[in-house]
Amino acid sequence: MTMRPHASVSLRQQNPYDGQDVPKVEVRNLNFYYGGFHALHDVSLPLHDRQVTAFIGASGSGKSTLLRVLNRMYDLYPHQRAEGEVLVDGQNILDPKQDLNLLRARIGMVFQKPTPFPMSIYDNIAFGVRLYEKLSRAEMDERVEKSLRRAALWDEVKDKLRQSGLSLSGGQQQRLCIARAIAVQPTILLLDEPASALDPISTAKVEELIDELRADYTIAIVTHNMQQAARVSSWTAFLHLGTLIEFGRTDALFTNPQNPKTEEYVTGRFG
Amino acid sequence: MTVQNLMEQQVPHPFAQQAGRENRRDRAFHGFTMGSAILVLVILGGVALSIAVGAWPALRAFGPAFLTTEVWNPVTDQFGALAPIYGTLVTSIFAMAFALPVGFGIAVFLTELCPAPLRRPIGIAIELLAGIPSIIYGIWGLFVLAPFLQRTVQPFLIDTVGQVPVIGALFQGPPYGIGVLTAGLILGIMVLPFIAAITRDVFETVPPLLRESAYGLGCTTWEVVWNVVFPYTRVGVVGGAMLALGRALGETMAVTFVIGNAHRISTSLMAPGTTISSAIANEFTEATGTLYTSSLVGLGLVLFLLTFSVLALAKAMLLRLDRKAGK
Repeated sequence: MTMRPHASVSLRQQNPYDGQDVPKVEVRNLNFYYGGFHALHDVSLPLHDRQVTAFIGASGSGKSTLLRVLNRMYDLYPHQRAEGEVLVDGQNILDPKQDLNLLRARIGMVFQKPTPFPMSIYDNIAFGVRLYEKLSRAEMDERVEKSLRRAALWDEVKDKLRQSGLSLSGGQQQRLCIARAIAVQPTILLLDEPASALDPISTAKVEELIDELRADYTIAIVTHNMQQAARVSSWTAFLHLGTLIEFGRTDALFTNPQNPKTEEYVTGRFG
Repeated sequence: MTVQNLMEQQVPHPFAQQAGRENRRDRAFHGFTMGSAILVLVILGGVALSIAVGAWPALRAFGPAFLTTEVWNPVTDQFGALAPIYGTLVTSIFAMAFALPVGFGIAVFLTELCPAPLRRPIGIAIELLAGIPSIIYGIWGLFVLAPFLQRTVQPFLIDTVGQVPVIGALFQGPPYGIGVLTAGLILGIMVLPFIAAITRDVFETVPPLLRESAYGLGCTTWEVVWNVVFPYTRVGVVGGAMLALGRALGETMAVTFVIGNAHRISTSLMAPGTTISSAIANEFTEATGTLYTSSLVGLGLVLFLLTFSVLALAKAMLLRLDRKAGK
């Protein structure tokens, strides 16, 4: 048994793209409070390494709250607190001694709306990298290009890297934000309804991108769009009023839900 | 009344009447707004013109040397604006050097770091500070701040910084209490609430998601404020700073109380000096000759142009920043 972690690591290296179900993140008995409001009840679930996990549920189900625990974004606000354990690579990130800046550098996040920084396209990418790495100009250029290519944006912006990030269209801005998140080389990506403000074509592009990225990143995506969850994820967690109702493989959860509430939700009878 | 009569009355369509009424009202409203806007131009032009006319005798008598002469002698009718210009600039620069970092600090503390229960009391205190009339600042400066500086801060500065070569010259001589340094400090305290309140207000316009994105990359509070919040709000911050600088340049009463009103340029910041507005306020009642009065109006013209160039510089700076940000 002591050999298991080692064995799984070597397996992963042999076959990096296939889904070996190794938990990268483990949420254990998580309770979350907004002041006196108990928003998450005893949630436990894994995020598997280099796979996409979707959090679905109606508004107010706690899916975004759960996502914001994973990089402790809630810490910015007083009166919000989490109890329980969230293990990332076996280390409990809810520990008060956890260095938040380092944690957030390891975990990228993309939000409901595009949030380019008020600076050039190039600097939008380079900014986060500069925080933690000292790169030469050539290395930085390379990193920026690589990140933009990875986010399928390079061809559209390569001739205007000095222009403001705000000059791009909404869909481009969102891909810029994804490029910015992956430029700092995190291992985990948190996507909070990343396509909810985008038109269908941009949405398709972002979904394609998620499909590409899952080879290298552990991805958690919050979505209110069930088709999207079904398209992009391998695992799905269904939350209802702060409780995890069902967690399982996406195809199983959608075709053969175990809980009647899940069935009602995925068949569109409520929510 | 016959049917014939009714037909001849030519009743207009009810909607047509309504439309005519709306149209008239809209035209009146349009006229009012345009008139208000034009009024600004008329007032500005009128002020500029009358100041220029009033200053003309002095400008004709002294020419460009008016701006570069330090002498201000009502007895011999020799007037030069250099000392008040110098005093105005130095006190305002000193005020901004004090108020900008402190105001920025207050705004950052209030928007990013302050525990929620303290936020309102501090915010209200800042607004109250902005509401104190300048005469109160003047009295407080003369009776409290100046003696305090004279006894404690100024002797300390003379003994320490005053001994350093080159910049030491700024902090030498007797500690008068009143003088350029005290005036600058009072001005700084007076403009501080403007900078703090405006900066806080514009910082609060930053979308929470933008802030969270920066924190999400692993930024510290300082990095978020300096790289994201400040660039996002720079138009507002620069605007607030310029409003404060405009107030500092033109502030009269408080400065007149504590600057010492001496028409000379001293190397030491602790020596008495004067500013344009305090010179005008002090001397207008006693200005007898045409040339004396005209020279004071000339000072006013200089202040007018100074404030104008500050605004122009601010605009130019924003344009340059925009270009740098790739807009």
